[in-house]
Amino acid sequence: MTQFSLDDSSVFVVIGSGAGGGVLGNELAQKGHKVVCLEAGRRLEMSDIVNDEAEMFGKLTWLDRRMATGKPDPNFPVWGCKTVGGTTMHWTGACPRFEPHEMRARTTYGALPDTTLVDWPVTPEEIAPWYDKAEVRMGVTGRQGMPFLPPGNNFKVLEAGARKCGYTDIDTHNMAINSIERDDRPSCHQLGFCTSGCAVGAKWSTLYTEIPKAEETGRFELRPECMVTGIELGPDGRVSGVTYLHQGKRVTQKARAVAVAGNVVETTRLLLNNSSDRHPQGLANSSGLVGRNYMRHFTIQVMGVMPGKVHFHRQTHLAGVVRDERGHRPERGFAGGFLISTVPFTPEILAKNMIIGGWGRDLTEVLDKYDQLAGMLLTGEDPPQLSNRITLHPTERDGYGLPVPVIHYEDHPNTIAMKEYAWKAGRRIYEALGAENVIEMGDYIPATHNMGTARMGDDPRASVCTPFGRTHDVANLYIADGSLFPTAGGCNPTLTIVALALRQAQHIDREVAAGRL
Amino acid sequence: MTFTLTRRAVVGKMALAAMLPAIAASPLSAIAATSTPKPTPEEPATAALLHTAFPHARLDAAFYSGAAGRYLAEIAKDPAAMAEHRRGLALLDGSYIAPFAQLPEMVRRSMVARYDQEPFFKALIWRGAELIYRDAAVWKMVGYEGSSVEYGGYIERGFDDIDWLPAAGGAK
Ligand SMILES: Cc1cc2nc3c(=O)[nH]c(=O)nc-3n(C[C@H](O)[C@H](O)[C@H](O)COP(=O)(O)OP(=O)(O)OC[C@H]3O[C@@H](n4cnc5c(N)ncnc54)[C@H](O)[C@@H]3O)c2cc1C
Ligand code: SF4
Repeated sequence: MTQFSLDDSSVFVVIGSGAGGGVLGNELAQKGHKVVCLEAGRRLEMSDIVNDEAEMFGKLTWLDRRMATGKPDPNFPVWGCKTVGGTTMHWTGACPRFEPHEMRARTTYGALPDTTLVDWPVTPEEIAPWYDKAEVRMGVTGRQGMPFLPPGNNFKVLEAGARKCGYTDIDTHNMAINSIERDDRPSCHQLGFCTSGCAVGAKWSTLYTEIPKAEETGRFELRPECMVTGIELGPDGRVSGVTYLHQGKRVTQKARAVAVAGNVVETTRLLLNNSSDRHPQGLANSSGLVGRNYMRHFTIQVMGVMPGKVHFHRQTHLAGVVRDERGHRPERGFAGGFLISTVPFTPEILAKNMIIGGWGRDLTEVLDKYDQLAGMLLTGEDPPQLSNRITLHPTERDGYGLPVPVIHYEDHPNTIAMKEYAWKAGRRIYEALGAENVIEMGDYIPATHNMGTARMGDDPRASVCTPFGRTHDVANLYIADGSLFPTAGGCNPTLTIVALALRQAQHIDREVAAGRL
Repeated sequence: MTFTLTRRAVVGKMALAAMLPAIAASPLSAIAATSTPKPTPEEPATAALLHTAFPHARLDAAFYSGAAGRYLAEIAKDPAAMAEHRRGLALLDGSYIAPFAQLPEMVRRSMVARYDQEPFFKALIWRGAELIYRDAAVWKMVGYEGSSVEYGGYIERGFDDIDWLPAAGGAK
């Protein structure tokens, strides 16, 4: 295995090995650059992945202390992973693209009060070829010649109900899950445990795709269980290296440039916690925007007790999509739109989710008909608000001795209006098939999509990063995760994170060639 | 019949990431492995509470007693939790003519409704949901089939076997 010296200042350091970091690190290595990837979590073997949600939750999930005020759970506001592969271990693999109108959010939606809506500094035309590359890379179904996944029960119910409601843009979705054997990985066996890590490796996770491929180049060193705490600057104002904690020891690695892909909360914490005379508000924060405009998409569910058996646990979690409500149609009473897809629950998670609302027969009548349940997940656009922000707690410290991140989040009235509409739309779908009972479930899932806290833009006073994700303030410091998103769009973020990381790798490569990095 | 169930927040913030498998909960297997605890004075009322909160016609009294026993054995290690639980049982037992466990179901339901915001009850139903719905017998009863990787997944075992949908809505 390749090992780089701590004094080697020609290496690129990538912080995080998830969607953003895993792809950027691999792409840089493929292009001939030396990369050290620092990852806070452990490296699991395929044999560590079992079909047990509770066990995998313990193995994968980021459980270091976090706090929240406002709407989220005060102790568990964000659901992500701390392991090699990052949250591509938990993720369900849906890979929609941003719609062009969503990338022109300010132009499309107008001035929505109390938001900082902007148009993306990257145009839809500019990102399109990067989406193509990302889809090929991840083997996204229904794209670039990859067949769709086969329709299963939960999806068939959604589709049948949706068609009765007049929806037409429906299929098994664009998924980073192999529909055919490809890339030395099998096709999906319909295990039904996608959020517990895919035990057969059909779902794209950087743990067994990007990381080993990068290692094969001989120019990539992954260092697991290395929690980065410091980013050091040289006298020229450029990053000179990073400091991390490994088995209780403090280690410093020199670097030519650094990219942070810690998934928004950790990226923000790292920047804010590295203030200095030159960067009194935190690293790269002359705009004061680091941590602000935090966005997360609402995630609500509707369940139907259907007239026949469904067995919704028997397939991919996210098994298909209805896209008809994605568009911007202000006559519905809100800006932007949402996607409708499927979701299953184990009996335990279903029960826990339902006891938020009540106990007794209301609950057990639904559980008694577990095999007749169909479930859908509705996720929609979340406009950026300055007041939704991540800060550092002044006194509370986590197990590393680092300030605990505090997330403040409240729904915008636009989000509340969209949710109300979405619940009704979801209910209609199951009622159209004669559901015995329809249950609307609230926005209780901790955030799975995190965006916005180091937005890209052309103006250094109104954004943290350039349109290539380099911080305006520090010439060799990059961000490579959802923090870059100026707006959230009405769809899952990861394909866009990957597309931007691939584009960033090309930019870095050119900067090196031009002698600027 | 349709109704909206869960936007009425009974348990509210205590939901603590309800969608997540198991925050701060020990795996059931670890508990099941310990020998069945001896019945304690709290068991009948605890079992009756679990039965009232999670009434399943297909589960018998012994099942609820077993779950109650495991719950009591767990909280026995935490004096504060046990004290709170006992305080709750005293509220239920003390406010009627007969002990809670001996009351008719309807009466039990109305009593629990009166106390369902109390910490003892929230703690019991949260852990109770795990004790009950992580049990293989309950999985079988409701038709959940659990780990599938050892059987090659559901691809050959009914992932798309639905047969009652209107023809137009089936697979494309
Ligand atoms: C249940 C679930 C389902 C999801 N489903 C979908 C979906 O269907 N489609 C979709 O597009 N998205 C989905 N997502 C979101 C998706 O997982 C994320 O968008 C994506 O993983 C983000 O990539 P990332 O690289 O920014 O962060 P991550 O993948 O989270 O990787 C960040 C990594 O950085 C490490 N790290 C953080 N801080 C440090 C530090 N200081 N030092 C060292 N290492 C550090 C972490 O341990 C982690 O491994 C889902 C998420 C969840 C939780
Ligand atoms: S359903 Fe498919 S993608 Fe999901 S865990 Fe199973 S094999 Fe992997």
